[in-house]
Amino acid sequence: MATQISPCSSLNQETLSSAKLFNFSKKSFPSRWVFKIHSKFNQFELKSSNGYPLNAVSLQDGAAEKPLAKEVALPEQTESNLSVTVVGASGDLAKKKIFPALFALFYEDCLPQNFIIFGYARTKMTDEELRENISRTLTCRIDKRENCGDKMEEFLARCFYHSGQYNSEQNFTELDDKLKQKEDGKSSNRLFYLSIPPNIFVDAVRCASGKASSKTGWTRVIVEKPFGRDSESSAELTRSLKKYLAEDQIFRIDHYLGKELVENLSVLRFSNLVFEPLWSRNYIRNVQFIFSEDFGTEGRGGYFDNYGIIRDIMQNHLLQILALFAMETPVSLDAEDIRNEKVKVLRSMRRLNLEDVVIGQYKGQSIGGKSYLGYTEDPTVPNNSLTPTFAAAALFIDNARWDGVPFLMKAGKALNTRRAEIRVQFRHVPGNLYKRNFGMDMDKATNELVLRVQPDEAIYLKVNNKVPGLGMRLDRSDLNLLYRTRYPKEIPDAYERLLLDAIEGERRLFIRSDELDAAWSIFTPLLKELETKKIAPELYPYGSRGPVGAHYLAAKYNVRWGDIAGEE
Amino acid sequence: MTTTFSPFPSSSSSAAALINHNQRIAAVAAASIRSKHNNNNNFNQCCFSLKQSSSTPLHLQHQDGIGASKASPLKASDNILKDAEVLSVPPVIQDIPNFQQDTQTSSTVSITVVGASGDLAKKKIFPALFALYYEGCLPKHFTIYGYARSKMTDAELRTMVSKTLTCRIDQRENCGEKMDQFLQRCFYHPGQYDSQQNFLDLDKKLKEHEDGRVANRLFYLSIPPNIFIDAVKCASTSASAASGWTRVIVEKPFGRDSESSAALTRSLKQYLDEDQIFRIDHYLGKELVENLSVLRFSNLIFEPLWSRQYIRNVQFIFAEDFGTEGRGGYFDNYGIIRDIMQNHLLQILALFAMETPVSLDAEDIRNEKVKVLRSMRPLQLDDVVIGQYKSHTRGGVKYPAYTDDKTVPNDSLTPTFAAAALFIDNARWDGVPFLMKAGKALHDRRAEIRVQFRHVPGNLYNKNIGTDLDLATNELVIRVQPDEAIYLKINNKVPGLGMRLDRSNLNLLYAARYSKEIPDAYERLLLDAIEGERRLFIRSDELDAAWSLFTPVLKELEEKKVVPEYYPYGSRGPVGSHYLAARYKVRWGDVGSEQ
Repeated sequence: MATQISPCSSLNQETLSSAKLFNFSKKSFPSRWVFKIHSKFNQFELKSSNGYPLNAVSLQDGAAEKPLAKEVALPEQTESNLSVTVVGASGDLAKKKIFPALFALFYEDCLPQNFIIFGYARTKMTDEELRENISRTLTCRIDKRENCGDKMEEFLARCFYHSGQYNSEQNFTELDDKLKQKEDGKSSNRLFYLSIPPNIFVDAVRCASGKASSKTGWTRVIVEKPFGRDSESSAELTRSLKKYLAEDQIFRIDHYLGKELVENLSVLRFSNLVFEPLWSRNYIRNVQFIFSEDFGTEGRGGYFDNYGIIRDIMQNHLLQILALFAMETPVSLDAEDIRNEKVKVLRSMRRLNLEDVVIGQYKGQSIGGKSYLGYTEDPTVPNNSLTPTFAAAALFIDNARWDGVPFLMKAGKALNTRRAEIRVQFRHVPGNLYKRNFGMDMDKATNELVLRVQPDEAIYLKVNNKVPGLGMRLDRSDLNLLYRTRYPKEIPDAYERLLLDAIEGERRLFIRSDELDAAWSIFTPLLKELETKKIAPELYPYGSRGPVGAHYLAAKYNVRWGDIAGEE
Repeated sequence: MTTTFSPFPSSSSSAAALINHNQRIAAVAAASIRSKHNNNNNFNQCCFSLKQSSSTPLHLQHQDGIGASKASPLKASDNILKDAEVLSVPPVIQDIPNFQQDTQTSSTVSITVVGASGDLAKKKIFPALFALYYEGCLPKHFTIYGYARSKMTDAELRTMVSKTLTCRIDQRENCGEKMDQFLQRCFYHPGQYDSQQNFLDLDKKLKEHEDGRVANRLFYLSIPPNIFIDAVKCASTSASAASGWTRVIVEKPFGRDSESSAALTRSLKQYLDEDQIFRIDHYLGKELVENLSVLRFSNLIFEPLWSRQYIRNVQFIFAEDFGTEGRGGYFDNYGIIRDIMQNHLLQILALFAMETPVSLDAEDIRNEKVKVLRSMRPLQLDDVVIGQYKSHTRGGVKYPAYTDDKTVPNDSLTPTFAAAALFIDNARWDGVPFLMKAGKALHDRRAEIRVQFRHVPGNLYNKNIGTDLDLATNELVIRVQPDEAIYLKINNKVPGLGMRLDRSNLNLLYAARYSKEIPDAYERLLLDAIEGERRLFIRSDELDAAWSLFTPVLKELEEKKVVPEYYPYGSRGPVGSHYLAARYKVRWGDVGSEQ
């Protein structure tokens, strides 16, 4: 069915058997032209999915407005340059996620032909050392092994390093000089990825913006969570950032929004007639957002202990998914239209009450002779820490569509599984003819739509079905779509998509200031209350299903967690 | 819906057998050679579910009693269902009516297959009876009689029947012994179909076997339509049960138009009450047709969509990949419209489109089905495309044309293919085309229901879908055969950077989900007839309504000698069917590039 030309050339061609695509073979063009063509498709794709020219920067728009056919026929020689600076290049995230994502984009021909990547950090390192450092984490996708080594070499040759302090204007001026040298007089766009602790955010932004902004193209800054730790500190951070950057230069990343199934959530809902009529309090009984990790802080609890699971997972990742799930139909798929709708949802939400929250903290546990440390046994965590490593919460959206529908969230570390999923539980069938076949509890036999974000991406819909055979016995079966079986291709990492979007100025999946404010105002009162009242978390064993308090919270709203029923 | 106890002694007897499971188990074990474990499984499982299908308060109690008496039924089913959540956990009820214990020892059922030497009897009826026996679904005392004109001994009948009996793949254990036991209960009585005397002789033999018990009798008429009435007359007057019920199962054709069908019904009713007549339509016994109502009425997510507001059209498709193959004599007199559409497909349509019935009782369901049929517009000639297959050579093999069949007249205009558009003029379905398509000698064999939904109004992803939004609508497919499955086509984002959409299936493939073999439709229908469950049998008024939709167009086709469009054997059928669909701005879902 796919008729859309996809952004990055090679991506789609082999993978979908039924898809008809314009197949521009790389071999039929001189290599220099290749990016050109793909680049134009990028623009085309974005334009078409957005419906209006990107508000990014004139250069891009200019390119996008030109007719496609001519662009293919007449590749231009003067190509704008892209410089990506990873600030905090020696950190964990940079090594594990950012550089590999950049390489994947390069491999997939999604980066402009002229690009350079700079690592920036305090550590003294040469370019060679940086390359050595990141080459260990680069991998090629399983289905794209070809030329992988060559590609890696090419990529690494574009990687450089500059060491400097995060608050030194001088050091950033030096970086600017180096960038200019590499950019070689071409018009250039600059993307800074700030992968550094929150206390030096503002300094780095000040220096980068003041001394290393692009003179000829756009300058964008990607910032990672935490965006403050409550309404006040978040507002303060935003104010500081805005001293040096305009709102449309700030790209607040929430990598959950880049996950394949979160992206698909809107597609499912808005491009299928069978879902939208059901998407309201009339049919949906409750919605659950579940995140669990099967490991603890494992000696890296220093940062976490200052934030806790609510700030680390709920207030951002889960709440963002909730907003996408519950929003009204936007006017278009443009970033501003979508973000406007998300803000409306967040602003319609009731502040979270203490009674609607259960917090927990994992304790040590021996399983099969192996002992697992409790949270407070982590040397980087204070012994008397009350920081929750687990939380469950019931939230409500007081608007016409969702009035009275509980939105349950659950997030925890050191649980029995690793998963992230959205579960939509429907109401029971009124006046069900098959009542007798269900036994007493009708609510156990409701439909449920599950979007499993990770691992093993899947969508399934639980339906009641007749068990084949004589007689009439019913059970719940799944109508399912397992991505692994349907799409043999490897699914890109969330960071790839988000980096690409930032490069292209697509803001749909980034968080706007007003969204952030609204999100904090739902959680801040609760967080303060938890801290001022020194509420002790319910302890749960490492590797367990979490505190039983979560069940009582669900029971309070007459629902059940879908993930820990017998059938999962 | 009958709420009294008396009409169903046999069904209660099987329930009683379960209720007294613990007491009886020793006796059963002693009396039979079945392994105890196996016995429990089969018996409980079958009758456990069986009780659920009937919904009298009385039966409900039985069901509860079963649940209370033993845990094994659930265990057994757990083994069968892969990780299924079994929802039908019966609550515990202690009191078990005593009278059931008595009836179970003293009632019996005698099943007479009239036309026992015929093809259907051999291929379907006897094997279905054996399967019911194997699963422990027949009453303890039962007798099976074959009745036909051929001279045969009991032993000859047994030899004949034994060739077609099979055990289910998942229950091979003791199969041979079971077969022997079953065959011991099979007897043969030769006789004319119109001879009162011969039926009196049969009656005597039956009485011997019934041995003074309360005797219920079921006649399965597997004979040509011209001798229906005679056989019914004789069976009813000379071989009816003296102390229990007498029921008669009749197979299609039920006439060939409104008049002949009405005449047949009138004649039958001279000898039988309406509730003794079980008009069988074996498509209604198919697993996925049974499941249609379950899907619709026990899932919140489907019912809101079940109307003209969301459904753009519905398609009922039947295809066979073979022709008449030398057996066209009967078919040529009827044609595909009478043979498949007017009964099988129309019945499924009525089930699909009916309003929610008051209950699952037979009369409530059939009332709703009649309402649908009576709201339908009689079919117009313009809305029908007919075809007939012609010979075709493929890979060196020459497949014959319909008229090459020796049993078919050379100038026959009988359609072997038909497509039709029907409409239900009620509030729910006004303007929604219900397309039907049935044909022989097509490229594949299938029966399915396809529900095509409307396009998404104001679709945000218009641009990603391309210009033709109707190519990207949702579709719910219920595949009745082969490879039973349910799947819902949804639009989905193709994983990867960028935003490309395609259609994927949310699917449920029965073979993957349920490891158990699905029972043949005849098993269910025979069991229902024994139990007096009429839900899946066709009532006289349904039949009248069905004929009145098709009779005018059938007459017109014959009077005007409309020539069918010829299509090659093994093809996808006449292209005319596409133009018919196009006229209502829809597309057949089964012949797209993707299915």
